[in-house]
Amino acid sequence: MAKTARELLERLPVGRSASPERWRKAASASLRMLQRIRYRLVGREIDQGIVFKTVIYIILINVAFIYLKPILYMATTMIKDAKNILDPTVIWVPKSLYLGHLKTAIDYLSYGKSLLLSFVIAGGVSALQVFSCAVAGYAFARLDFPLKRFWGTMLLFTFIMPPQVVILPTIMMFKSLGLMDTVWPMILPALFGHGLKGAMFVIIYRSFFSTLPKELDEAARIDGASAFKLFFRVMLPLSRSVIVVVVLFAFVWNWNDFYLPSIFMFTSHDVPLSIALAREAAEMKLDEGAGVMTVYGEAIKMASSFLIIFPLLIVYFFAQRWFIEGVERTGLVE
Amino acid sequence: MSKGRRLQASTQRKIDGTLFIAPWIFGFLAFVAFPLGYSLYMSFYQVQITVDKVVYTFIGFRNYREILVLNGSLLYEELFPFLKQALVMIPIILVFSLLVAILLNLKFPGRTLFRVIFFLPVIFSSGQIVQEFISQGEGSLSVLQSLKIDSYLQEYVPGGWAGPITTVMNSFVLILWYSGVQILIFLAGRQTISASVYEASRIDGSSPWNTFWKITLPGLVPYIFLNLLYTVVDLFTFPSNPIVSKVSTANYGSSSALAWIYFVIILAFVGLSLLLYSRVDRALSGTRR
Repeated sequence: MAKTARELLERLPVGRSASPERWRKAASASLRMLQRIRYRLVGREIDQGIVFKTVIYIILINVAFIYLKPILYMATTMIKDAKNILDPTVIWVPKSLYLGHLKTAIDYLSYGKSLLLSFVIAGGVSALQVFSCAVAGYAFARLDFPLKRFWGTMLLFTFIMPPQVVILPTIMMFKSLGLMDTVWPMILPALFGHGLKGAMFVIIYRSFFSTLPKELDEAARIDGASAFKLFFRVMLPLSRSVIVVVVLFAFVWNWNDFYLPSIFMFTSHDVPLSIALAREAAEMKLDEGAGVMTVYGEAIKMASSFLIIFPLLIVYFFAQRWFIEGVERTGLVE
Repeated sequence: MSKGRRLQASTQRKIDGTLFIAPWIFGFLAFVAFPLGYSLYMSFYQVQITVDKVVYTFIGFRNYREILVLNGSLLYEELFPFLKQALVMIPIILVFSLLVAILLNLKFPGRTLFRVIFFLPVIFSSGQIVQEFISQGEGSLSVLQSLKIDSYLQEYVPGGWAGPITTVMNSFVLILWYSGVQILIFLAGRQTISASVYEASRIDGSSPWNTFWKITLPGLVPYIFLNLLYTVVDLFTFPSNPIVSKVSTANYGSSSALAWIYFVIILAFVGLSLLLYSRVDRALSGTRR
């Protein structure tokens, strides 16, 4: 816009009577000032101006609030006692701190046992997947084997396929193996690079390994390293950033997963946290139906939600720095 | 001599590759291919489980006919509205996550804090917790309610679509919650466009608006489609999906048939997005080279 203005100015028929030189100088000075103000506001590039920055902050803070609100709600609700719940002046910050709901929730969830089970499932599956999916992804990206294109299509197919299609035969299979109501139906597929979203992790690894330079293989081969040595000594150490991403995803998704445990462990006495929460909710609904009205219902639910999220928050808190870096550096996807 | 050695190297590579992929292929056969074939088999049978054995009676397409024609309420009254809802949700999720990813990619003070917050949904959204939040009424945006948008929708949007759109509106916050992974994918994809391209476009005097449409967006096309694929797959295994809970051990035969019908629908969706992708990709690469 500024450019066209100057062009116009130059084309302006400047009268001979006024001193044209001075006129033009003054005009260009004021133009420059305008430009400077404009730069200040809009920026030389779009992400430098004040206007733009304000808009960004407004959007981001709004969305961040949407993300944080339920968590804040959870944190404040679970520490309210009866007086604070019924007090209409208390909306967010309770006047006193009450930790009894946490205790009730721990009893409801049988927290110790459920927590241990959740850890066994999420930890076991993520530990296995991070390794087995790396092996498969490496083969897909850098090695050769018969029918590679076919198996590549099958990988995509596995990614797309909803678990509901294969769940019934899988139940029958594990039943005949006598593994129902144990954690094995979740862990066993992970050993072979499958399991919950296993195909996605293989795809992530594949796209990462295919970005590494070809010279790595050649150098290692010239040094006489076998494929296994190459994989363990060179490739795995290089893929630290992907490993962080995969471990975190695998852990979180398995921790939160409700579907598979609800199928394979439903009749079990000890269940992982996600099922324990569902059972607790059902129990409370039953109580409500039976006429046992309580103002604590919501507070207890929030306390149990907190107990389930809390370990994840700790994990995320420690892993987030590497995680964010890893996401940026690996290119995560093709 | 040298040719022989190269051949040897390539067979060696093949052997290594086979060894590396073998566990995955075994897993695929055991946990994907076999159950898949078996559920297809069961969908043509009536399966009765007695105490000590399973009895199969061949009934042909009766399971399918039951679901598709005779007793279609599940498919037509529950799944189809959900699919319509999904069709509305997918573009919203994609646009929103693209926007947030681009914003998060800019440099500004406090960026790290915002990133930490914006990745929180990745942690929570897969779990029961979000369901808990929805039931607390955290899912809707009160602005939309106060604007009475739903009554306008009822008036102006053709028949079957008003319902799904209203549902989507009412769970708008939920949609934002479900775009965690998509934001990640876009953010990762944005890193693949090299900074020098942006520098060149700046030197050439391209405006930021143009830069976005001519450089950022075309560069992100593969990621947009990856996200489309991911979102489709994710939505189809959504906890609110009516089909998910209907596939149960109550009736092996008809559940398998239902799962297969459902699977075919998903494949159609995915095939459609892949087709779209190849078209767009070809068009773009035509102009690029």
